[in-house]
Amino acid sequence: MALLGQYAMNGAMLGMMYALVAVGFTLFFGVLDIIQFSHGDVVAAGAFAGLLAYAALTALGVQAPGVLLLAVTLAAALATAIVGVLVARFLVLPIKGAPQLNVLLVTLMMGTVVRECIRLFFPNGSQPQRFPALLPSSGWNIGAFYLRFDNVILLACGALLIAATHLLITRTRLGLAIRAVAQDEETARTMGIDFKRVVLVTFAIGSVLAAFAGVMDGLYYNEVFFGMGLLLGVIGFAAAILGGLGNLYGAIVGGFLFAALQTVGAVALPFASAYKDVFAFGVVIVLMAIRPTGLIGERASERV
Amino acid sequence: MKAAAVAAAATVFAWLLLRAESQTSITLLILLAVAAAVIAARLRFRVSGPSVLAFAAAVVLALLLREDDFSLLLITRILIVVVACLGLNVQFGYAGVVNFAGASFFGVGGYTAAVLAPRLPHVLVLLFGGAAAALVGSILILPVLRTRGHYAALVTIAFALLFRTFLEVNDTLGGPQGLKLPELVIGPFHFNDSVFDWSFYLRYVALGLVLVALALAVVQRLERSWIGVSLDAVRLDEIAAASFGLSIARWKIAAFTIGNFITGVAGALSAFMIGFIAPNNYAFSESLILVSILLLGGIGNPWGLALASAIVIVLPEKLQTIQEYRFLLFAAMVILILLFRPAGLLPRPLRRLKT
Amino acid sequence: MRHAFIALFALMSLAANAKETVRIAFIGPLTGGNSAIGLGGRNSADLAVRLRNADAKAKYSYELVVLDDECKPDAGVQMATKAGSDRTIVGGVTNYCSVVAMAAVDTYHRFGLPAIVWGAVLPDITYKNDFKEVHRVNGTMINQNETNAKFMAEHGYRNVAIIHDTTDYGKGHDKYFTQFFTQAGGKIAGDFGVTADQQDFTAELTQIKALRPDALYFGGLTPIGVRIRAQMDKLGLNVQFDGTSGIVNDDFIKALGPIAEGALAFREGAPAEKLAHGKDFLEQYNKQGYAQPPEAYGPFAYAAAVLLMDAIEKAGPDRRKIIEQLSPAHVKDVDSIAGKITFDDHGQNTVPVITKYVVQDGKWVMWEDSEYSSGKRKLAK
Repeated sequence: MALLGQYAMNGAMLGMMYALVAVGFTLFFGVLDIIQFSHGDVVAAGAFAGLLAYAALTALGVQAPGVLLLAVTLAAALATAIVGVLVARFLVLPIKGAPQLNVLLVTLMMGTVVRECIRLFFPNGSQPQRFPALLPSSGWNIGAFYLRFDNVILLACGALLIAATHLLITRTRLGLAIRAVAQDEETARTMGIDFKRVVLVTFAIGSVLAAFAGVMDGLYYNEVFFGMGLLLGVIGFAAAILGGLGNLYGAIVGGFLFAALQTVGAVALPFASAYKDVFAFGVVIVLMAIRPTGLIGERASERV
Repeated sequence: MKAAAVAAAATVFAWLLLRAESQTSITLLILLAVAAAVIAARLRFRVSGPSVLAFAAAVVLALLLREDDFSLLLITRILIVVVACLGLNVQFGYAGVVNFAGASFFGVGGYTAAVLAPRLPHVLVLLFGGAAAALVGSILILPVLRTRGHYAALVTIAFALLFRTFLEVNDTLGGPQGLKLPELVIGPFHFNDSVFDWSFYLRYVALGLVLVALALAVVQRLERSWIGVSLDAVRLDEIAAASFGLSIARWKIAAFTIGNFITGVAGALSAFMIGFIAPNNYAFSESLILVSILLLGGIGNPWGLALASAIVIVLPEKLQTIQEYRFLLFAAMVILILLFRPAGLLPRPLRRLKT
Repeated sequence: MRHAFIALFALMSLAANAKETVRIAFIGPLTGGNSAIGLGGRNSADLAVRLRNADAKAKYSYELVVLDDECKPDAGVQMATKAGSDRTIVGGVTNYCSVVAMAAVDTYHRFGLPAIVWGAVLPDITYKNDFKEVHRVNGTMINQNETNAKFMAEHGYRNVAIIHDTTDYGKGHDKYFTQFFTQAGGKIAGDFGVTADQQDFTAELTQIKALRPDALYFGGLTPIGVRIRAQMDKLGLNVQFDGTSGIVNDDFIKALGPIAEGALAFREGAPAEKLAHGKDFLEQYNKQGYAQPPEAYGPFAYAAAVLLMDAIEKAGPDRRKIIEQLSPAHVKDVDSIAGKITFDDHGQNTVPVITKYVVQDGKWVMWEDSEYSSGKRKLAK
C-alpha cells in the first residue's frame, strides 16, 4: 500500500511539471498556431536564473529560506518572461506567415542556443548544478508511507498556478482578448484588440509558468542541468497534443497521463526500466492514431 | 558558358577551402564567399546549366585532392548527406509530410547493412538498407496519416527519440557498443584498398557521385511526372486536392516510402564507409541537422541542398578553434537565415507549366 | 653581394638551430554530455605540451592539434582519419568514449598512427585486436570492478541492487561487477538500466526500496549519479552508495552537498596528490588557469602525452619508430603521474593500481586515509 502511495506521489509530481510545461505549449498554439519548441529550454533558463539569484543573495549574506525562495522564483519568472517576450517579438511574430515548419525550426534552434549558452557561459555549466533545498524537508508518516511536506507544497502551488491561469483566461478582459485572438485573429483585430500586445502577454504568461516548472524541478530534484529542457519540452509538447492543442484542460490531462504512463512503464517492465520512455511514447502514438485531434479535442474547427 | 565559369570558380574555391589549414586563411576564404554571395544576390545573378557540369566539377575536385584522405572523406560525407536529404526532400518539399526522424531511417539503413553485409552481395545490401527503411517508414506513417501537421511532427520526433533508446537498451543489435561492418566489396572493387597510390576514399567518392546522380534522376523524374504534380497538390492544399479526387493517404504514403528508401540507401553506404555503427550516431540532434540542411538549402531545390550540406559539414571541420561554440553558432546561423531568407539559400523555382 | 650571402647563411643556420616542430593530436569529447571530462583531458595534454616546450633540453618543439570526437563513432572516425592522413601529425592521445575508440582503432591501424588511449575503459579496445598502433594508459573496468566487488564482499554487503546507464560504459561496469560480486558470494537484488540523460529515478528507486538491498551500486557518470543519490535521499532510501570512476570528481560532491558523505568509489591509478609528481601536476595545472578542472582522467591524458613525447624524443618524428618505442619491450615500469606504466603485448597498461575512495567532509579521500577505515566513522548498512 505504501508502495502504491509512493508511486502515486512520484507520478503526481512528474505530472504537475509536465502539465505546467504543456499548458505553455497549448497557450502559444492557441494564440498563434505555432509550436514554440524552445519552451523546454526556457524552463531550464528559468531554473538557472533562479540559481544565479540564489548565489547572488547568499553572497550578500541573506539566509532566510523564505526570502531566498521568493527571490529565486521572482528571478526565474522575470528571466523567462523576458526571454519569452523577446522570442515572440523577434523570432515568432516576424515569421508568422511562413510555413509552420520554419517556425518550428527557428524555435527549435533557439532552444539549442539557450541550452548551449547555459552550458558554455554558466560557470562549470556542463555538469549538473546543485539547486538549494529551500523548502522544509519534514514530513508525516501515514502508515508505512512517508509523505513529504515539500512535495505537498509544490503540488499545491502548481495546482494554484494552473487554477490562476484558468481564471485569467476565462474571467478577465485579457483572457477574453486571448481567447478571441485564438479563435480568429482577423476578427479580433477588427474588433480593436491589439494583436501584438496580446501575443506578447500570452508568451509572458506561458513563460512564467515555465519558470515555475523550472524552479519546481530544481526544488524537487535538488539539481539542475543544462540539458534538462530538451526532454521536458518534447514531453510537454506530447502532453499538449495528447490532450488536444489549444485546450487548457487537455494539456493538464495530457501531462498527468504521460507521467502515469511513464510510471506504469517503469513498474511493469522491471527488467529494463529504460524502456519506460519507449513505452510512454509508444502509447502516445497509438492514442493519437485512435483520436487524432487529442483526447479532449482541439476547440477550433477547421474552416474549408 | 557562364555556367562553366561558375562551376570552375566553385571548384577552385572548394579546393582552396579544403586544403586550407590556418584559421586566418579559412576565415578569409569564408568572408570572400559571403561577399560573393551578397554581391550575386544584389546583381540578381542567375545561372542555369546542365547538371553534368556539376558532376564534372566534383570529379575534377576529387582528382585534385586525390591524396588527401580527409578532404575526400568530407566530400563523400557531403554526397551521402545530399542523398539522405534528397529523400527527405521528397517527403517535405514535394508532399509536405513532416519527418523529424530522418537520422533514424538513415540508421535503419545502416543497421540493415551491418546485419546483412556478411551474408549477401553488397549491392543487394545497399538496396535492402533502403527497403528496410521504407518498410519501417510505411509502418510509422499509419498513425501519422490521420493526423495533421504538428501531430505528425510529434510522431516522428517520438520515433527519433525511441529509436536510439531502443537500440541502446537491448543488446540484440549490438547495444550501445554498436556493430562492426566488413569491407565494402562491389564486383571487382575492394573499397578499402588504395586506388593506385592515391587515397582509397576515391572509390567512395565515385560511388557517392553515382548515388547522387541516381537519386537526383529519380527525384527530378518524379517532379516532372504526374506523380510530382499530385504530390505538389497534396502539399499545397489537401482539401482542394482531395476534392479533385487525389487520394491524400495514398500519395503521402508513397512520398514517405520513396523518401525513406533513398535515405536508407544513404545510411547503408555511410555505415560501410565508417566501418562501424552505434546508436549514438542516430540521435535526435542528427535528424535536426538533416532538417536544417533542407531548410537552409531551400525546400524542393536539390542544388540548394548540396550547398547547404557542404556548408554544414565543412564549416565546423575547418573552424576548429571555436569547436566548443560550434553548435551555438550553427543554431544562431540557422535562425538568422530562417528570419531573413526563409525560402532558403536557393529557393525552389516555381513550376514551369510549359513543356 | 657578399654581405647578402653572409646574412642568408646566418639566417639559415639560425633556422637550422631552431627546433623542429612536431605535431601530436588530442582527440576527445569536447562537446556533448561528456564534455567536462574531454575538456579536462585536453587541458591536461595541453599542459604536458606546454611544460615540454618550456624545457630547453627537449629536442623538438611540440604542437597539440585538438580534435573533437563528440563522443560519436562517426565523428571519431572522421577525426581519426584527419589525424591519420595528416603526415605532419606523428602520434595521438586519443579517446575517452569507448564506442568511439572501438570505431577508431581500425583507422589508427590503417594509417599507422600511434595512438595512446587516455580514458576509454572497454577491454575490447586493446584486447579485441592485434594492432601495434593502439595503446592505453588507463586500466580497464575489469580491474576496477574486481577490486570493488571484493571490497563490498569483505565489508559484509551481501545483497546489492545495481543501477547502470545503458551506454557501453555503464553496461560494461554492470557486467563485470555482477560477475565479480557473485563470484565473491554476493547476490544481486535487482539490475536496472537507465538512459544516460534520464531525469527521474523515483520509479526505479521505489522498486529498489521494496527489494531491501544492503547497498546500491551505480555504473555511470556524474550527471545521473548525482540525481540518483539525491533522489535516494528524497525517498528515504539511505543504503550505502557505491560507484565507479565516473563519479570521482568534485562536481559530484558539490552538486550533492552533505548527502554525498560516505559514498564509495573506485578508480584506476593512484590519486594525483599521492604520486611523486602529482602535486606538481595540480600546481602547474592551476597556474595555467584553465577554465575546467582536470577531472578524473586528466592525469591519464597528461601521462599519455608525456609518454608519447618521450617516445618522439628518442625515436624522432617517425610514426613507425615511435610505435617501436611504445612496444612492450620499451615500456616497462615507466614512471608517470598516473603510476607506473607497463604495456602488455596488446599495448594495455597492466599495472592495475585501483584506488578506493570515500567521500569525507566534502572531499574524495583515499579509503586507507579516511576515518571510515580506521573505524571512527561507519559506512551505511
